[in-house]
Formats: sequence, structure tokens, C-alpha cells
Amino acid sequence: MAEAETKSIDNASIKMIEKAAADGANTAFDRAETMKPCPIGAEGTCCKNCGMGPCRVPLPKGKEETPKEKKERRGICGATAETIAARNFIRMIAGGAAAHSDHGRGVAKLFLAVAKGEAPGYEIKDEQKLLQLALDFGVTIGDRSNNEIAIDIGEKALAEFGKQEGEVLFLRRAPLKRQELWRREGIAPRGIDREIVEIMHRTHIGVDQDYRSLLRQGVRASIADGWGGSMIATELQDILFGTPAPVLGRINLGVLKRDEVNLIIHGHEPLLSEMIVVAAQEPQMIELAKSKGANGISIAGMCCTANEILMRHGVPLAGNFLQQELAIVTGAVDVMVVDIQCIMQSLTTVAECYHTKIITTSPKAHIPGAIHIEFDEHNAMESARAIVRTAIENFPNRGSNIDIPKEQTNLVAGFSHETINYLLGGIYRASYRPLNDNIINGRIRGVAGVVGCNNARVKHNENHVTMVKELIKNDVLVLQTGCSAIACAEAGLMTPEAAEYAGEGLASVCEAVGIPPVLHLGSCVDNSRILMAATAMVKDGGLGDDISELPVAGAAPEWMSEKAISIGQYFVGSGVFTVFGATWPTLGSPEVTEFLFKDLENICGGMWAFEPNPIKAAHLMIDHIDKKRKALGIDKARERILYDMAMRRELEAA
Amino acid sequence: MEYKIEKKKAPGRKDVEVLGATFEEGKPEGEELGKWRQKLESREEKLKYLQSGERYWYGKDWYGSEKRKNPA
Repeated sequence: MAEAETKSIDNASIKMIEKAAADGANTAFDRAETMKPCPIGAEGTCCKNCGMGPCRVPLPKGKEETPKEKKERRGICGATAETIAARNFIRMIAGGAAAHSDHGRGVAKLFLAVAKGEAPGYEIKDEQKLLQLALDFGVTIGDRSNNEIAIDIGEKALAEFGKQEGEVLFLRRAPLKRQELWRREGIAPRGIDREIVEIMHRTHIGVDQDYRSLLRQGVRASIADGWGGSMIATELQDILFGTPAPVLGRINLGVLKRDEVNLIIHGHEPLLSEMIVVAAQEPQMIELAKSKGANGISIAGMCCTANEILMRHGVPLAGNFLQQELAIVTGAVDVMVVDIQCIMQSLTTVAECYHTKIITTSPKAHIPGAIHIEFDEHNAMESARAIVRTAIENFPNRGSNIDIPKEQTNLVAGFSHETINYLLGGIYRASYRPLNDNIINGRIRGVAGVVGCNNARVKHNENHVTMVKELIKNDVLVLQTGCSAIACAEAGLMTPEAAEYAGEGLASVCEAVGIPPVLHLGSCVDNSRILMAATAMVKDGGLGDDISELPVAGAAPEWMSEKAISIGQYFVGSGVFTVFGATWPTLGSPEVTEFLFKDLENICGGMWAFEPNPIKAAHLMIDHIDKKRKALGIDKARERILYDMAMRRELEAA
Repeated sequence: MEYKIEKKKAPGRKDVEVLGATFEEGKPEGEELGKWRQKLESREEKLKYLQSGERYWYGKDWYGSEKRKNPA
């Protein structure tokens, strides 16, 4: 097997890894080979929270730890390995929740500016979602204009971040039993920023030094992410740009075009990219491109910004996290414009080998060597035009070493919770009933959310695709977001034809409804859509009273970012059994790991697991689904009895 | 619906004109097709849909897991 084939399962990526080596471009695949992870940091037992450290407290290698050794395994301040591992773990949650939530804050600020008429070019596109949020937030509708309603919603959404008391408003969307549990356990978040700040305080030297207490705060902050910051981002983006509906798209590096200006939009926020999509279609821009020898302008997305513009505009998707450098290696990318999150600093270094210009746009995310064209919501179209113009003017600078892989696949994206509800019942009887019924009758065994990143320590896309194929083969309907969704789409699992990989029961339902067995729900903030889908399943009835009773499971088989840990924790905090692959950051403390893997089930109804083998991980999920089916009494087919009147009277009398 | 006339070969005759298929292919066309939310036009319709379609959160007269006679 050629060396590149050990690094990815995707042919387009393999070709570009080989080309990068030939062109002398250093990529994450090379760096992962030359730099091994720190074994102490990987297990969460290195504390660098004060100037007396870093203190390393690893487990002894190759033998059981004696009580004496355990007692001595402390940092200089006396913090035990448990405290250190828990601190590190919840600081990851804080980082992830902060990233998602600051994204949400950015959307809320733009939303308010649009409502006030201060952001030309943007408008409220989905009035229905606006009304929905008005009902959620207790905003008066009456005969008020959309903008008047939106101002109130925007102010309430922004207030969620700095709120000091009470509860995050979207918690009310959760099943009633779940809300009660959060309140009873003291893990209902008060405000989004507050819970993140409190993690930073508690993990400062000499504050919270009970790992159980630290981990509970981690759950609380993660819920503030999933049911707070992320949900605000998703909902307000839907109002501004439209709630996603199924759209046919194309995916992989083959979407780049040799004869057109290629502009890649990479990152996570759709705020500026929505404008770039519009600017690239303007006649004067197309004329300018033709004057430079191009046949047109081709926009493609990368990572979660790509998921956003794919779902709403059908813009082709070039790839996921580990393909960002490889896109430049094609030699055909004239501009890569980036916003926030998961953007490799090495993009500028790779770009030096080619003609590609990297453009940063967020005041929060600068990269040395990149051009900075700042996104200003008050003048977004001008920023978008400047970016498109830069791409066009760079087209004639392409070198001769262009090689665009042919690989591209079709996918159907855009399965928001609202659209699933609509697809299952139509306008007049929208419902999750058909899904619940098919779970109860066993055609669908359960539902899995498979999400998360790529990780250069794992063969690119392999875990995602292997796990998802195993799940659908076993009649588990899969919901996906983020880079995991991109991986499976590249493997052709997101078209209705992919039902051929599914078990008989799941395939029959997919064929009847006309959906793929693997549904694309959006970007990583859109994991909030999975929470809504799970809640709708509970509320529709027949599958228990809480998310923790549903035959569902979650996974991130190639995770790497702090955001993934926050997502996983809010899945667990919402009652979902969640399996992570690749690596696990608390293995240096058996107590902390035990708490996350077992004890949390008694608190939240959900718990973590770690299994790097994707097939074994899929079977952990299936076993959990079967456990829940048994608890619900739907593990065996029951004889159907037609009740006559006498039997009904008897039932009512009982 | 536009009627299409198709030419077909008939036994013992030359080409004959017959009425073609009149079904809609069901393939989305144009940017807006497939975007189901546009089917709801007025604010009243949208609010009504929220009460019915999204009844899990906004409806008052149905019986799901949380609104049954004997709550868990």
C-alpha cells in the first residue's frame, strides 16, 4: 500500500497528499507523523494552571499503582491527578462552549443590527422561525412588524449570554422530565457566559478541588452551549438565511474548476459567506472574471461554513478539516477566505508553494501572512466584493502545477428538525409519529447522532464511514453534522440510493419516505437540531418521557477539538450515551474516567464511552439502543389485539 | 398542464400523433422549489402551523407523552 493510502480512505485526498509531497508542501499528515502526542498531556495528567508547574502526574507505566504512589501523585499545590484531569477536561468544555457561544453571540449581534435596519444586504428570510422564537422568548407578536418582533428577540437572545440568574431560556424546549432533572441536580445553566467563566474560576489554582464537583460544572456549561449558545446560533441563522430544506449538492475536491476562478469559504460562520455567494453572482464580477481569462466564478465551501451554505444554497462542498490544506495543493484555489474555528495556521505556509491567497475576515482570527479583509456587518457586501475581486485578480497568477482530482459525489443535505417533521407528515399533519412508529415496530432499531471532527492521528474519514455503515446496516438511522457529515457524504452515504447499505427495515422506511439512511443536519452548532429532533421524539410519545429513555446514542469517532468535547458533554448531559474514538483525555485518572463513563448515568441518564475501533464503538451504541428498547418493552414483536367494546369497557374500568 | 403531442409508429400505418404523458415529473426546478416553508404565506397560517406541526412545543390540544391523562 502506498504511504498516502494509509492516511486517508478518500481517493481525492490520497492523490493530493502525494502531490503535496512532490511539491514540497508540508501538511498536517506529515506533521502528525513527525510529532508524537505528549503521553502525559494526552491522558490529562499535566497541570499548567500556575507558575509552579507544569506538574506532571502520570499513572505508573506497566503496573498497578500502590496506595502510597497514589497518595504521592500530586502537583506542587497538592492537587491530585483526579483534580488535574477534571480541571483539564472541563477547561476543554469551556473552550468548546465559548467557541460555539461566541459564534452565537456574533449571529445575535448581526440579527439585532438587521432588525434595526443597520445591516444592509441582510433581511429576515424565515418569518415562521421568527414567530417561533417570539413564542419561545415570550415576545408579543400581534400586528407588529417582523423587524419590531426581531428587535425584541435579538435583545433577549443577546441577554442570554450575560444573564446572571434564572435559566437559559431554551431549556424550556427540552422534555419536562429533563428540565426537572437539570434543576434537581443543580446543573441547569443560569447564563451562557457565566457557566464558562465559572469553569475558568473553579479550575484556577486553589478553588474547586473535588473532581465530581468540577465535572458537574462541566455538564452545566456544556448544556449552556447545546441548549444556549449553539441553539441561538442555529435559530437566528435560520431566521436570517432560511431554515434548511433538502437540497442536492456535490462534494469533494473535484468540485473545483480548472477554467473558473475558485474561491473557497472555510470556517464556521455563514454571516459573510452568505454575502460572498451573492457577490460572486453579480454580472460585473462575472464580467471581471471573464476579462481575466476565466469562464466564471466557482464558490466552494470547506468545513462548517460549507455545511451552512450548502444547506441553504446548494453551494458545492470541497472537503472537511483535513482537506483544507489539500484544496490548496490542487494549485487551483485562487482565494481561500476564512472566518473562525478549525482553520490551520499552516494554510499560509502551504499557500506559499502555490499562488493561493489566504484572506482572514474575523477580528477574532488573524493569521500572519494572510490578507485581512475584516467583516463589518454594516458594510458586508463591500467586504464580500473585495474578497471576490481579490480571487478574480489572482486567477492569472496560477502556476502550471494544477491537478484537480476528479472525485466528487452527490449528496442531499438540509434536514433540519423542522424539515424532518414536515417530510414525515406534510404541512397538515407534520409529525414525528412515523419515526416513532417505525422504531416501535422495529423497522428502525434506533437513532444515532454521529458528529465531530477529523483527527490527523486517525486515518482520514475511516472511522466515520466505517461506524456509520455499521450502524445503518443494523437499522440505525444516522443523523450527522460537521466534518463527520462531510466524510460520509464523500463516501456516498447521503443519497437515497445509500439505502442499499442499510438493513432491510431501515431501507424500507427510507424508500417509503424518500430520504437517505444518513441525514445531513448541518454544521457543528447545528447539533442543537439533533437535540430538537430527540425532544420531538420524546414529546410525540411512545418512547418514554425523557431523552435518556430513547433508543438513541451519539458518537464522535475522529474528534479532536474542544468543541467536540463540549458537544459530547451536552449530549451526555441531555441523557444520551456518547462514544468517542481517537483518544480520551482523562485516562490518567481512573476515578475521573469512571465518573464520566459510569457515575454520570445516575446523574444525567447519559454517559460517555471511549472506543477507538469504529466497529466496536458502533456495537456499543447498538447494545445501548437495544438496552433502551428492552426497557421500553419494544424489544420483541407483540401480538396485535383488536379490542372489542367489552374489552374497552374493562380497560376503562381498570 | 400543457398537453404534449408525441409521434409514434402504429402497425399498418405511418407515424401517428398521440397524446403524450401529462404527469409532473416531481423533479425540483428553480431555486425556490423544494423549500417547503414558502407554502405557508400569511402570518396567520404560520402561527397555525406552529400550533399544529410544531405542537410538541406550541400546541394545546393534543396528547403526546407529556400531555396524557396520567402524567409520568
